[in-house]
Amino acid sequence: MPSLAVANLMHRKLRSGLSIMAVSIGVAMLIVMLGLSHGTLDEVADRMQSVDAEIVVLPQHENVIFTGGAAFSGEFRPLIERTEMDHKPIVKSVIPVLFDTIRLGGQQQRLFAIDAKDMPAFLGGRKMESGRMFDEADRLAKLLDSQRNAKGYYDPAKIDDADVNRACELVIDSRLAAVGKYQLGHEETILGRKFKIVGIVESGVAGRVFCPIQVLQHIKNAGMPWASMFFVQLLKPPAGQEKDWAERCAVVLAERTKARVEPKSAYGNLLAESFSQIYMFMTIASTISMVVCFLFILLTVYMNVLERTREFGILRSLGATGGYLIREIVSESLILCLSGAAGGIALAFLAKILIEKFRPLLTVKFAPEYLLLGVAIAAVGGIISAVYPGWRATRFDPVVALSFE
Amino acid sequence: MNTNTDLVIDAHDVHHTYRQDGTDSPVLHGVDLTIRRGEFVLLMGPSGCGKTTLLHILGMMMRPTSGSVRVEGVDVGSMSEAERTRFRRERVGFVFQRFNLLPILTARGNVELPLRLRGDTMDGQAARVLRQIGLLEKADKKPRSLSIGEQQRIALARAVVTEPHLLLADEPTGNLDSATAGAVLDLLANLHQSCGLTTLMITHNEHIATRADRVLTMRDGRIEL
Repeated sequence: MPSLAVANLMHRKLRSGLSIMAVSIGVAMLIVMLGLSHGTLDEVADRMQSVDAEIVVLPQHENVIFTGGAAFSGEFRPLIERTEMDHKPIVKSVIPVLFDTIRLGGQQQRLFAIDAKDMPAFLGGRKMESGRMFDEADRLAKLLDSQRNAKGYYDPAKIDDADVNRACELVIDSRLAAVGKYQLGHEETILGRKFKIVGIVESGVAGRVFCPIQVLQHIKNAGMPWASMFFVQLLKPPAGQEKDWAERCAVVLAERTKARVEPKSAYGNLLAESFSQIYMFMTIASTISMVVCFLFILLTVYMNVLERTREFGILRSLGATGGYLIREIVSESLILCLSGAAGGIALAFLAKILIEKFRPLLTVKFAPEYLLLGVAIAAVGGIISAVYPGWRATRFDPVVALSFE
Repeated sequence: MNTNTDLVIDAHDVHHTYRQDGTDSPVLHGVDLTIRRGEFVLLMGPSGCGKTTLLHILGMMMRPTSGSVRVEGVDVGSMSEAERTRFRRERVGFVFQRFNLLPILTARGNVELPLRLRGDTMDGQAARVLRQIGLLEKADKKPRSLSIGEQQRIALARAVVTEPHLLLADEPTGNLDSATAGAVLDLLANLHQSCGLTTLMITHNEHIATRADRVLTMRDGRIEL
């Protein structure tokens, strides 16, 4: 004999099925939101970790995710390069990056404008799968340098557009190439100019799209040598000072530049911190969806209880205690919610497959704790949803309940 | 708790008044009733005279407004609700006019229900009782696919499966045609004879009077002497 809870749920298949579906959707939404946000952030953080540098210099008080534009003027680079600790230089080299946002592969991409000579630092051991690095950038850099005044500025009007256009080259990663079906030689209009894809690098490098920094500076900043952020390669620490070297250097650099300076290893935390508002939004959205789901369960269980008033009268006449009735109702609710959780996990994996198929640049990563969280919330919600209907069931007068039609 | 007594029911000066919307409706006016172990007692009387109310009070489904009720020597009026529920589960079987089977369970599931509520292991009692009432082959059918006579026999099986000390039956044949009612009454009488089950049955059927040890008549909330 199946338990009374199972028998009752089987007796009302449509209602039970709809309830399970509601919980499944709520749980799936929760898991997918967590998996999508954390997966994408982790992937970005991992890519940033691949840069061969120890420190990142970011604009003060700026959200890491939306860091862009030319926040640092030309004076910052030499300031960072000349930083010392205990009267000894600490910086080996400074890698400026200028960001912009472009559309490629069907979605927005962050364009990493870098100096061609810094590309090995970004490759971080990954190889060029096909094509080459920027050929024309070096020549353009020399041309622009020849025009710069003492402060590093030049008059953009004096630069021939043809020279700039020749340097409009892109290097993209293999994942973007696969998604956009881009091949070497493909031309894409970006920022009003035609850029040619000249190289495809193994995915996992910091950016998906790279272009020469001189080109973006010329287009966006009238040639001013400004940057959005810097990666800093440190000199080796003096003997005996290896411990927390990057952290200590970051403190000194922050004091000197008044910018936000963090060890590169903290980039993941910075991303998560920057994402806090979005996390809050997602948490609220998920919470609302779960609350709606559990209201649905509460309603279902409550309806079941009201419809079964006579049944509870029968049970009481047979000697069922209030505790027994509550256990039965909690069991029903738990069966609905845990079945919903199982369905939600299955739905979440289906959503992952669909997202990876139709939005391959997004990363969905399901950590076991997200799945456990989905199950735990369903279980707790199931119990809470059963409290009021259970309490109501115990309040039925058995004699009155027996005469219920 | 002294249960070593020959009196299964000992009710004294039982009064009950229903109170609804500020209006009092007295139903029982000082009922005195004793039933000895193994007796088969019929309770008859016109509708609305308080028979079912008395049955519910004796079965600990409700408390009287005043008066004392002892079941197997135990003053059930002094018990908490939970104690009364447990006491009922252990010692009383109910049969209702409307069968009151759970439609979501099979015949076997319905018969097993009291055992399940007691936490007993299912070691064949349900099958034994179903065989005894001749419905073992329909054990896996839901009540809706059984005839009303079969449903009442299942309800009877459910009431006796735990081998209660007291069977309370509220017009168990009230919804049955005469042939089916006869079969159910035969079954009740057999159960009483074979098990010595103390039985109090409300009925309008005067033909069964010959099978009972005593016939009580109730009128205007009192048992007529």
